[in-house]
Amino acid sequence: MIYLDNAATSWPKPPAVVQAVCRALEAAGGNPGRTNHRLSFDAAQMIQECRENLARLFHIANPLRICFTANATEALNLALKGLLSPGNHVICSSMEHNSVWRPLVRLEEGGVEVSMATPGPCGTVSAAAVAAQLRNNTRLIAIVHASNVSGEITPVAEIGSLAHERGIPLLLDAAQTAGAIPINVETMHIDLLAFPGHKSLLGPQGTGGLYVSETVRLLALKEGGTGSDSSNQHQPDVLPDRFESGTLNTPGIAGLNQAALYLLGRGVEEVQQYEEQLTQRLVTGLAETGNVTVYGPTPGKTRAAVVSFNIGGMDSVRAAEELERRWDIACRPGLHCAPLAHRTLGTCKTGAVRFSPGPFTTTEEIDIAVRAVSELAEIG
Amino acid sequence: MTRYLAVFPSLNQVALVKRALLREGVYVDMTRTPQCLSSTGCSFALRCSKGELGLLRKACVAAHIRLGGIFEEDAGTDGPVYRLAHPSHPADGREAGS
Repeated sequence: MIYLDNAATSWPKPPAVVQAVCRALEAAGGNPGRTNHRLSFDAAQMIQECRENLARLFHIANPLRICFTANATEALNLALKGLLSPGNHVICSSMEHNSVWRPLVRLEEGGVEVSMATPGPCGTVSAAAVAAQLRNNTRLIAIVHASNVSGEITPVAEIGSLAHERGIPLLLDAAQTAGAIPINVETMHIDLLAFPGHKSLLGPQGTGGLYVSETVRLLALKEGGTGSDSSNQHQPDVLPDRFESGTLNTPGIAGLNQAALYLLGRGVEEVQQYEEQLTQRLVTGLAETGNVTVYGPTPGKTRAAVVSFNIGGMDSVRAAEELERRWDIACRPGLHCAPLAHRTLGTCKTGAVRFSPGPFTTTEEIDIAVRAVSELAEIG
Repeated sequence: MTRYLAVFPSLNQVALVKRALLREGVYVDMTRTPQCLSSTGCSFALRCSKGELGLLRKACVAAHIRLGGIFEEDAGTDGPVYRLAHPSHPADGREAGS
């Protein structure tokens, strides 16, 4: 199979990730933070090691500010619902995924004011577009780092500077970029960083996290056992305990730890360059194919490793089915859980086919995929 | 020989400091805080020698961790005997993550 669905979840995983998950289940089955035996302490040590490796990837000074979640969606919900209250104003973009948009709609129904910054002619949501939405009661700027539909990359550092100057926290949805595009929470002024473990970080599904800066205080969305401060009927204040009630996904985090080590060894910059080369080859090839419409940045312009397109008037689901049936290509059609982005691109009714290469995709696979689309466009 | 128990509010803090000491070549044991010393219910601790306390405190300061206390631990006839040596971390008043 030619796997071009890394934006949904990355595959394959580095072998060390698979081995770590198996090893955690076979030989390291203790519950971290609950009991007093070696297996439990070993699990806690491994989880701390993972926090430290993720902190190195994102340039986070204090690893204890990273709270593990099941995925980026859970992290985004925690950030949005833990921070915003009625009367607050939040700015997002018109390229957000439903994992931001749906929580915001619910919050809006409860009295939170929501404004949307829209992309300019070049397709990018600029700091100026965000600034135009600022109000006196703006409590948060929540922005996607790269669209999961168009691959457009948001100028985070500029928006972060704007937020920092105004004393407004910046929440970055790094679902498509964590592990694939360098992120530095300090220089980019990111106060809340939501990331999945199973996409470009190359870890197992069921892993993710939220970085919370020292300046932000969030309400906990779930309460329960943390293995600490047990006689207190309220959640502990200390992080990450405050947001990690319940037993963590130890096998998943074991895999994520190895994935982080893999990326630290290979280098996120190298991954970005490799994927950029593949993506440009893909965009250029598709753009030169007759009867194919490619969305997002034009060939030659930097983008995340996401390329959405349509073949004439062909239904995007049918196109994806044909690509798998005839060429054994795995990709994702439809709205990609991002109707806002599709509305912005004018593809809300048709959806689109999305190819998303990963760090193990080859140029040969890209060429086969381009030829497949070309042949499918001819067959119709 | 007298040992010392450094009590932390969170196991995650214990794990961080233990790993910081390991990087300095110092191995200390993690343990659950004896119930008689744990005023807040569940908590965890690091067991170390007097000579290792300095490095341990340094690691706490670096990570903005406020200890729950440091206790001397001596072998008594009916089990370990504890005596409060330091009520809280002397060099840093800020709780990590608060």
